[in-house]
Amino acid sequence: MKLFSTVAMIALLAGSLSTAWAQDRGGVLNFARYDGSKLIDPIYADRNPDIWMVMNLFDTLLTMKDGVAIDNLTQSHAVSPDGLTLTLTLRDDIKFADGTPMTGADVVFSLDRARNKDLTSWADLISSIDTVSAEGNVVTVTLEHADPAILSMLATFSTAIVSKAAFDAAPGATDQEKSAAIFASGKPGVGSGPFYLSGFSQGATMDFTANPHYWRAGADGKPLPYLDGVHFEIIPDDATRVLKLQSGEVDVAELIPFSRVAELKADPELRMELFPSTRIIYAPINTRETRTDGSANPLADVRLRQALNYATDKDALVALVLQGSGAPMSSPLMSSQTPLAADMSPLYGHDIEKAKALVAEAGIQPGTSLTFTTLAGSADDATVFAALQQMWAPLGVNLVVEQVDSATRGAKNKSGEFDIHTYGWSDDVADPAQVVGWLGYNPTANSVGTGWNDAAFNGLYEAANAEVDPAKRAEDYRKMQEIYAEAAPLLWLFETPYAVAMSKKVEGYVQLPLGVNKFDEATIKQ
Amino acid sequence: MARSILTRLLLMIPTFALVMIIIFVLVRLLPGDPALALAGDRASDAELATIREKLGLNDSLLTQFVLFIKATLSGDMGRSILMRAPVSAVIANKLPITIFLAVYSVGLSLLIAGPLAFVAALNRGRWPDTLIRTVFQIGLSMPVFYIGLVLLTFLAAKLRLFPVGGTGIGLFGQLYAMFLPAMAIAFYTSAIILRNLRSAIIEVLDADYVAFAKVKGLPPRVILGRHVLRNALISTVTLVGLSIGNLMSGTLVTETVFAVPGLGRLMLEAIFARDYPLIQGLTLTFAVLVSGVFLMTDLFQSWLDPRMRQ
Repeated sequence: MKLFSTVAMIALLAGSLSTAWAQDRGGVLNFARYDGSKLIDPIYADRNPDIWMVMNLFDTLLTMKDGVAIDNLTQSHAVSPDGLTLTLTLRDDIKFADGTPMTGADVVFSLDRARNKDLTSWADLISSIDTVSAEGNVVTVTLEHADPAILSMLATFSTAIVSKAAFDAAPGATDQEKSAAIFASGKPGVGSGPFYLSGFSQGATMDFTANPHYWRAGADGKPLPYLDGVHFEIIPDDATRVLKLQSGEVDVAELIPFSRVAELKADPELRMELFPSTRIIYAPINTRETRTDGSANPLADVRLRQALNYATDKDALVALVLQGSGAPMSSPLMSSQTPLAADMSPLYGHDIEKAKALVAEAGIQPGTSLTFTTLAGSADDATVFAALQQMWAPLGVNLVVEQVDSATRGAKNKSGEFDIHTYGWSDDVADPAQVVGWLGYNPTANSVGTGWNDAAFNGLYEAANAEVDPAKRAEDYRKMQEIYAEAAPLLWLFETPYAVAMSKKVEGYVQLPLGVNKFDEATIKQ
Repeated sequence: MARSILTRLLLMIPTFALVMIIIFVLVRLLPGDPALALAGDRASDAELATIREKLGLNDSLLTQFVLFIKATLSGDMGRSILMRAPVSAVIANKLPITIFLAVYSVGLSLLIAGPLAFVAALNRGRWPDTLIRTVFQIGLSMPVFYIGLVLLTFLAAKLRLFPVGGTGIGLFGQLYAMFLPAMAIAFYTSAIILRNLRSAIIEVLDADYVAFAKVKGLPPRVILGRHVLRNALISTVTLVGLSIGNLMSGTLVTETVFAVPGLGRLMLEAIFARDYPLIQGLTLTFAVLVSGVFLMTDLFQSWLDPRMRQ
């Protein structure tokens, strides 16, 4: 009897342990998105709703881990001592979602597409590449000049590998037509990512189905992904997206308004996640001597720009706009999640006396009028404006608002027809060159439209782009951040996380700092 | 009658031409261009220049206009810049859902407003009249998006009687899934129809020919159906026609709140993205739809009121 009960106990224990260890598999995750994808192709993905989905359908040669590019589709990779040749040895177990094996020819085809300026606006990311060739499973990439960011770029969505055979077979006269036809077909075969696109209705729904040939294994030793698929519904209205989650019709809702974060955190059925992001909110300041209407621009004086930054209580803005779910910017040129970000916090900490002194020194007349251009309909922008108007009043600055739509704001940024306007940015690549090129290197886009042009800064940026010694490159970036902070061509506001709410049945879904929605290790309890 | 329809159809041609010219010019007067909207914030000046060249935005306005007219006349509305697909295909994909929502909500409005207008008119000044008018006054004074959110919160999220947003599959699936958006619109539209129809019925009830019909001893069913309803409907038909016309292009808020992917939402996306071909295609579609609805309204009115046929 005793023996029997011991055996029963062991069996019971083993049963409960195996249940505890059993990996949840199967099921379709229902996901509410704020905006729909248009075309998910590594080289044609221009908008975030496209870019952030690429990695679910396609794989990159390398992948980033703790800021370092490591092997992904490759079993090894090596850079020659002069930094001009890359040798990539591909894994031999990679298959596209239709079961056809991935070869060196697919890699050559994909990288040639990704660097073709006539096809994609992302070509500049790998403009250092001179030739790409393959022999068996060894791919050789030669560079025109040493490029410190090249490994990160091979871990970037635009260089993800597509099937040459799928493109050769697709109908259409041009690459873009072929890409659109492949996307519309909803058949597996063009990518080797954890899922393939199996359904798409423009602006309404999208479906991913698990790639049965995916090569990475899960915690249980079986191939990923754990889910059978993901069903997306496009729900642009914030309140409706939240209701859809609360009613249980979807399992995850993204882009939760920060004003609702506390309420959803308190909901016992839900888990509210604030994923660290590279998203920064800032306001470019027009630094040109004169405005487009010919009048003198007081903001050309660096002291006024610094004064406005000192007079801005960023912690108060974080509390007002983000309800505490964020932080003031700590680097003047990038988010704290971006590699090589310097922690300069507090970046222009709130100091009204210093601000007043700078304004007096600059000889700014009381009643000086400045225009703050905001996005029409944006509650966040409206709050920022109202707060700034009050915060800057003690300096004698009369802040007036101008509300425009996004495209108009973009046009004003390009033409310099603004004083200060709201703007946001998320990194697309795991390297600081992109955001720093945008914000500070004048030839890219007039230093985010501010007109700020600093020869020393531009020289450092160009040097850093060819600097292969990581320590020296980091030093270049440190100097650029110091120069930029001092010149204050921006009003620095805050960094925001990605606010995603989900059912407690969902585990393992993450949104990476670059915005990528990652479903390969997501599970849902049945 | 056939000649009158033909004349009306021919008159639509200059209307469409004018609409196309106006929208072609207006959309290009907006600050910003498709290249900027397409490439987003991160694009460098060089990238923007490349995209503009590819999209033909560097051609003169006249060249662009001639190309556009030529293409439109040959039935080609161009390719949507944002959707990367032919404009006709993008619109054809969304059109049924918008027409369905418009017809569904007007149908519901008539079902609600018709009987209640009779009840109110026949009980003029008494409590049923006051009650009906008060309730529908609320419909008139509340914004549609608010009614929508209230319906969603209580009937969908709390009581789970309906899905929160979406369009459903199959006729019954669609009728079920889109009941709340149709109801949100119908609450407002029926309030307008009810006010108009009630006044018209009261006016007709006081007319001599109705009094004569009563004197003749006709049964009330015949008086109300043949004499009162038919005459009271004349002005209401115009109103319903206008409402349908409005709904074809004006359901943007409802479509957004209820996640219905229709033409209203598409137009907003197209405008934000400065997607010229799509904006032009949608405007032409709206012009055709609205003109079609107005033509049908006129025909129905002629049927109701023989005086209009002359």
